[in-house]
Amino acid sequence: MNAAELSAAFDSSLDRLAGSDASLSARRQAMAAFARRGFPTRRDEDWKYTDLKPIVTGRFDPLPTTPGEDDGRSALDRLSGLEIVPGAPRMVFLDGRRLANGESTALPRGVRILDQRTTWQRIRSIQTEGQFRDYPLTAVNTAFSPDCTLIRVEANVEVRQPLHLIYLGGAAANSAAHARILIDLGPNSRLCVIQHFAAREGAGWTNSVTQATQEAGSHLTLYRLQEHAEEHLHTELLDVRLARDAGARLGYVDLGGHLVRNDLRVQLAEAGASCDISGVFLAARGQHVDNHSRIDHIAPHTTSDEAFRGIVGERGRGVFNGKVVVHAGAQGTDARQSSDNLLLSEHGEVDTKPELEIYTDDVKCAHGATVGELDAQQLFYLRSRGMDEETARGLLIFAFANSLLHRIEVPELRKRVVSAVAGHLPDHEHWGGLL
Amino acid sequence: MDETPLLQIDNLHASVEDRAILKGVNLKVRPGTVHAIMGPNGSGKSTLAQVLAGRDTYAVTDGTIRFGGKDLLDMAPEERAREGLFLAFQYPVEIPGVNNAYLLKAALNAQHASNGREQVDAFEFMQIIKNKMELMKISKEFLNRSVNTGFSGGEKKRNEILQMLVLEPRLAVLDETDSGLDVDALKVVATGINTLRHPERAAVLVTHYERLLELVVPDYVHVLSEGRIVKSGDQQLARALDERGYDWVREGAAGP
Repeated sequence: MNAAELSAAFDSSLDRLAGSDASLSARRQAMAAFARRGFPTRRDEDWKYTDLKPIVTGRFDPLPTTPGEDDGRSALDRLSGLEIVPGAPRMVFLDGRRLANGESTALPRGVRILDQRTTWQRIRSIQTEGQFRDYPLTAVNTAFSPDCTLIRVEANVEVRQPLHLIYLGGAAANSAAHARILIDLGPNSRLCVIQHFAAREGAGWTNSVTQATQEAGSHLTLYRLQEHAEEHLHTELLDVRLARDAGARLGYVDLGGHLVRNDLRVQLAEAGASCDISGVFLAARGQHVDNHSRIDHIAPHTTSDEAFRGIVGERGRGVFNGKVVVHAGAQGTDARQSSDNLLLSEHGEVDTKPELEIYTDDVKCAHGATVGELDAQQLFYLRSRGMDEETARGLLIFAFANSLLHRIEVPELRKRVVSAVAGHLPDHEHWGGLL
Repeated sequence: MDETPLLQIDNLHASVEDRAILKGVNLKVRPGTVHAIMGPNGSGKSTLAQVLAGRDTYAVTDGTIRFGGKDLLDMAPEERAREGLFLAFQYPVEIPGVNNAYLLKAALNAQHASNGREQVDAFEFMQIIKNKMELMKISKEFLNRSVNTGFSGGEKKRNEILQMLVLEPRLAVLDETDSGLDVDALKVVATGINTLRHPERAAVLVTHYERLLELVVPDYVHVLSEGRIVKSGDQQLARALDERGYDWVREGAAGP
């Protein structure tokens, strides 16, 4: 569906998108901005390596029918095997819409979901034409998001158990799922979120937007695990803004999907804010995975550490574009960034582009990118200890990813991710028992 | 003593990128013996060790190697290991993301699978390695660290010997395991090597210095020079080399 068709679909769906005045005006504003901007093309510098053609030409229903009780229940049936931390609070989204009966337990004390009116007022107050120009798919999300969920953690509340957000898809055929989450962390609060994308049946398009606003001294850990079916298309924006001394730890794992574009924007807006970002992705069998990030060091003494690792096999393609901007006045910035890739097939491709823009003195910035094959010496060392070649190769590929996966602090999640990554690698049956 | 050689090298020629390095090496190693191979830098000592283990950057252009009666050159590196050949690396390789316990257990179980022995489980594994780790003065935390990653030079060498003790090879080839060690670490390493001396096993110590040979006394000492063994003897030869250097053996291979 091209931009004009989307606009027409929006006009004819307005009654179904009913909501508060704030919702209506926010959606209209977004749609108008998108109509002017259109889908990004490869002529846009930020989209040079990723072609959205499968989305533009795909016949996705931008506003899938509300799942009825039955659909909701069958979605819950599909949750089997998706539990990660037993007993952890959970929210389930089906084609972008939050299921009322998806909560496994009550929300922890000090965490609440705000009403739609407040949520949309917030969205309207923070959205700008500039944001839609930079992130046009966020405009589409705003226009069509079936509902938005604003999760607020009150000041000084430290939530112990991770909050598990599960995104299912495919209740309707060829659906577009425009899930929208806002997370507000009050001063000195702590929250861990597991954002779990698992549209496991049928072709579809997930276009998710997550915005986190962190007040002073708060800490957000967000693990984002993408295990879509291999024909699924996935685009998203994760937008995090940190106030004084706030910290964020973001962990990406991409295993599924056909076309994956993850936009990340982090604004270290006040002094002492810091973020730690790591990501692992596998791309083979025609999969395309693009991690595109922009980190703004706006205030002094802010730190960022970003490391992505890609494993690219047969006909896979990995893209990394990481921009770090150190603004005037952000002295004492410490920014580190790396993109390392294993290219396992001559029919695979890796495009990696770190970018640094520095407008102040007294900063420490380091970045590096590598694309390589397995290390012949490591391979020989393992074989000289009796490990056969296939097993040694598999283990080394796994080890490449594992050195980032061990940063995952939730043991149940780490275990699941480690075995899921292993399960996607060749010959894991030979060495999987070692894990 | 069993007189059949465990290792028999005949007329071995090997080259790297068309540059000949080994130019006709002959060597017989019987079970129960320890051989030292000494020689100046660039004489081909490490090449010999790597060729024995099956490193494919070296091309064997002529000659044969038989190990336990089998054609060694016909075997993949992992088959050689499972047959009981162990190379302690001069520069042990760092492998971030693979921890020591995985590697040790995988190596042991690969050998067991090949010999038709049962796989060891986590408990048995701990029983097997506990004393050996104490002997090598290696602490328990080490098992959860990535292989050789961030290890000091001495730790890397002790780790090689620990692997050797766990695998109990029929033939251990130690490539300059002594270099870069202080006296205390050298003693630990020597103890490890001596622990494995056995009438059915043999060792080839590739070394540049004589001091290891005071702690692990060899039955035979060979001098490798320009790709050939130019002189053989016993520990006295090693001492003479230590005193007089290599020039006198290189020039015409006349006796001392």
